[in-house]
Order: sequence, then structure tokens, then C-alpha cells
Amino acid sequence: MHGLPREVRSWIYNFFYNEHSVAYLKIDAQLCIAAKGGSVKHYGLSSLRIGKPVAEQLEFMEGLLPCPELPYHMAMVELPSGRVADLHLFADNACVWLLFLDATAERDNRQRLQQKAYEMTLLQERERQLNEKLQSTNEALRQSQAGLSREYQRAESLLLNILPASIAERLKADEQIADNHAEVSVLFADIVGFTERARSVGAETTLAILNYFFKAADLLSERYGCEKIKTIGDCVMVVAGLPAARSDHAEALAHYALELRKAVKLERFAGQPLRLRIGIHSGPIVAGVIGKKRFAYDLWGETVNLAARIQTSAEPDEIRISDATHKLLGPDLTCDPLAETELRGTGRVQMWRLPA
Amino acid sequence: MLQKKICMLGGFAVGKTSLVRRFVQSIFSETYLTTVGVKIDKKSVALPDKTVDLILWDLAGEDDIGSFRVSYVRGATGLVLVVDGTRAATLAVALTLRERAEAEFGAMPFVLLFNKSDLADRWAISDSEINELRQLGWQIYLTSALSGEHVDDAFRQLASMVTK
Ligand SMILES: Nc1nc2c(ncn2[C@@H]2O[C@H](COP(=O)(O)OP(=O)(O)OP(=O)(O)O)[C@@H](O)[C@H]2O)c(=O)[nH]1
Ligand SMILES: [Mg+2]
Repeated sequence: MHGLPREVRSWIYNFFYNEHSVAYLKIDAQLCIAAKGGSVKHYGLSSLRIGKPVAEQLEFMEGLLPCPELPYHMAMVELPSGRVADLHLFADNACVWLLFLDATAERDNRQRLQQKAYEMTLLQERERQLNEKLQSTNEALRQSQAGLSREYQRAESLLLNILPASIAERLKADEQIADNHAEVSVLFADIVGFTERARSVGAETTLAILNYFFKAADLLSERYGCEKIKTIGDCVMVVAGLPAARSDHAEALAHYALELRKAVKLERFAGQPLRLRIGIHSGPIVAGVIGKKRFAYDLWGETVNLAARIQTSAEPDEIRISDATHKLLGPDLTCDPLAETELRGTGRVQMWRLPA
Repeated sequence: MLQKKICMLGGFAVGKTSLVRRFVQSIFSETYLTTVGVKIDKKSVALPDKTVDLILWDLAGEDDIGSFRVSYVRGATGLVLVVDGTRAATLAVALTLRERAEAEFGAMPFVLLFNKSDLADRWAISDSEINELRQLGWQIYLTSALSGEHVDDAFRQLASMVTK
């Protein structure tokens, strides 16, 4: 304080001493308290014993001494008494002075500011976290919804592909399905000389031929209100009068057969026009869905078996129909009678040929 | 008399003060009262072969690591690194503070606490991340100052490490 008038020096001294409650300890080379003074009571240090180790009496001094870098400063240390002090350590020969300057007010001020700042930051962090969570939840929800509707559409188109639409609807509604149909017509059609020709043209061409045949069968079934039930190798099975009953099922299927025969002839298979053997029979059947995982709509009954046998007995290019079917046809479809023929497991039957 | 200085290091509001209060006084408060400077507490820990007084320095958690006052760490024999398990960024803060302390005063034993383990639905640290750190041989605890879970374990572990 050299160069300052005495009055100023003493004012600064008083101000500092009163405002900051200065206390001091002198610590000797053995780290024992050599002297104490100032406002020791203010800091709750009155009971410190001279000549005893400082760290045993002031636990916050543990490990601090000896201190290789003096002077040393620690700001705003809250002491066990509750007072907050700035601590200053400085050297004096073999001894160290420890100075306490009260910083309670300063600490409390800082505390108020810091509290506001940190609470604000925490709020902002939390808001960001919540927003991120909301966004990722929304995104996940959107994705799983999109995935679900994709799945659903896929399942639905699969169902529609293999099942008549009204059956698919009932399946989706969880109905058990096995229906009796008193009057339907069943058609089988397969490709003439399929096995040999397939061998001669190779797999790729054969697949293309099958694809053409089945596609034609599908398209026409839509046009004539029939249902393609399934394909078995190179054979298709088509039904009319199902799932909705119709009195003209035999006629519809007969027209279907004529168109199918015409359509496939446009395609060539191993150098010759593609030709079919077609058989039709009419009668009662049972229709239903079997399988839990993979739906397969199918028909059962004698009518189905006989239709299949009639088909096998047909000549190339021939549409052979049973007597039962023939009786149901209108006058516009005049058929040629065939000689009574023995069919496996049925005996002799009367059959007819649809006109070319 | 055996006493060891321990410093609580970590970002702000991770629960340093709450962990000390839980450990020393067995109390917890939901109210956040930020620490400015440092507050010193003491707790005796009875180990199988000895009793040690832990002098716990509860430091102010920093918002900005640049303002960290490393001088408080002088004389410390161990560190309690505290991470807020619901705020992923506080892991890096704790690790940086440890680096700062060790750069100044040399390596010392530490335990790493992922605190607020009671807030499971807000947890932001992956198990794999914690396991990776465990692979380094670090002593890691998932603690809750609220329930007290693993708080004593962590401090006792550090007590036995610093008295080895
Ligand atoms: N749920 C829950 N809350 C906790 C836990 N530990 C601390 N908190 C809360 O977290 C907030 C901050 O806790 P403090 O102990 O003050 O955190 P700090 O690390 O000392 O903070 P600073 O002193 O500012 O660095 C308070 O509101 C506590 O109640 C815990 O384990 N679980
Ligand atoms: Mg605190």
C-alpha cells in the first residue's frame, strides 16, 4: 500500500477486514498450527489447538500441505461451519500462512445466477430430448403403419390371386369355409403331348407356354364368370356356379371351353399349334378352404372325379362333356353324341362333344 | 488417524451433491440446488482391516469445462466421476474432468458412477457402452441417489482402492 495516504490505507484495511472477516493460521514445517488470529470465531476455528497437526483439526487441509506451488488459492470453500471462504496459502520461510477471506455473499450471488443458468440449460436439454423421442416415436409409428398396410395389401392380393373374391372376404372375416353346392359345372383342361414337347423345347419355352395357357384360362374365367380353382402340372381346373350359384353354369362353362380352345390355338408349342383336351361334368360338389397357413380353395366330390376322367378320355382338341352337362345346355349349343364309353371306376357313360 | 481426500467430479446437475448427501446423511431431495465453489463433508468407512475417514470434496459441476478449477483437486487420493445416465453428453464431461485432474496431479484411483438409475424410462446410455468401459478394468456403478442403490458400494470400493 505504498504511496497511498494513511487515511486511504486504513479505510481499505477496515473495509476489507470487516467485509471479509479476515482470519489467519500460521503453519510450521511440521504441518502443525503455530499461530492463529483474526476472526477465527467467524469461521468456527476457535477451538484449533496450537502445536497440533493442522490436517487432524481441519480436515479440508488433508493432502494440501506441503504445497509445492505457493501462493495457492482456492475460491469459495464452504467450511463445516457453513461459512464460505476464499483460502489463500502463501509461504514465509519454513512456515505457511493460511488466510481466510469470507466469500459467503459472493458465493450466494453466484449461486443465484448459476442456478438460473443451469435450470434453463436443463430445461432446454430436456425439451430437446423429448422432441427427439417424439420424432423417433412418430417415425417408428409411421414406418410400422406403412409396413403393416404393405403387408396387408400383399396378403390381400395373394388371397385374391388364389381364391374367389367372395371367399377371400369371408376368410378375412375369419369364417370357416366348407360349402355344399348343389349345382355346378367343373372343367379340366390339359395340354396335348405336354411331356414330350416340353422335353424337346426345354424348360424356358415350356414355362412360357404354361404361362400363356394359365393366363388365358384366368382372363377368360373373368370374362365368363367362372373361377379357376387351381392348376395341376399342365392341367387347369375351372368351375362355374361358384361361389355364387347360377342356373346357366353349364352353358357358361361350355362357352368358356370353346374360347379357351380358340385362344390357345394361337400359340405354337414345339412347332405345332397348342392343343388341349377338355372335359366338363356337372353336379353337386363340396367347396372349401384347407390349410391354416397357406390357403388353398378346392373342390371335392364325385362330380370332380368324373370331370377329370372325362377330360382324360377326350381326344386332342376335343371338348368332351357329360350327359348331365349336355342336358343343361340351351338349344344354341348342339353337340355330337359319342359312343358310350367305359370310364375307370364309373362304368359305361354317355358323353357328348361340343362343336368345333 | 487415516483420512483421504476424495473429489466428486462431473457435469452440472448429475447428482454429485445428492450422492454425497445420500452417502453421508442418508437423505435425498428432489430440489436442485446447484453447488458453487466446493463443499466439504466427511464420512467414516469401516473396511475389513481398517477404518478410513473420507474427506469428500463436492465440487461445482461445470457447464463449460474451461472454467473448471482444478486447484481444488490438490491432495486428492481418489476421484468419484459422476455421469447422469439420462444425459448422454455428461459421460464425456466426466472423462474430460478426470483427464484435467490427472494431467495436473497425476493418475489416481477412481470409480465411475452412472447416476439416476431409477429413471429407467429416460436412460440414455447403452449397456454396450458401459460394458466397453468395464472392459478397461474400470470400477463402474449404476447408482441412484434417490433410492440409494449402489451408492455405498461405490464409495466403499473407492475407499478400499485409496487405502491399498
Ligand atoms: N431421480 C433421481 N434424481 C436425482 C438423482 N441424483 C440427483 N438427482 C436430482 O438431480 C438434480 C441435481 O442433483 P445435484 O446432486 O444437485 O447435482 P450436482 O451434480 O451436485 O449439481 P451441481 O452442483 O450443479 O454440479 C436434483 O434435482 C436431484 O434431486 C437420482 O439418483 N435419481
Ligand atoms: Mg452439487
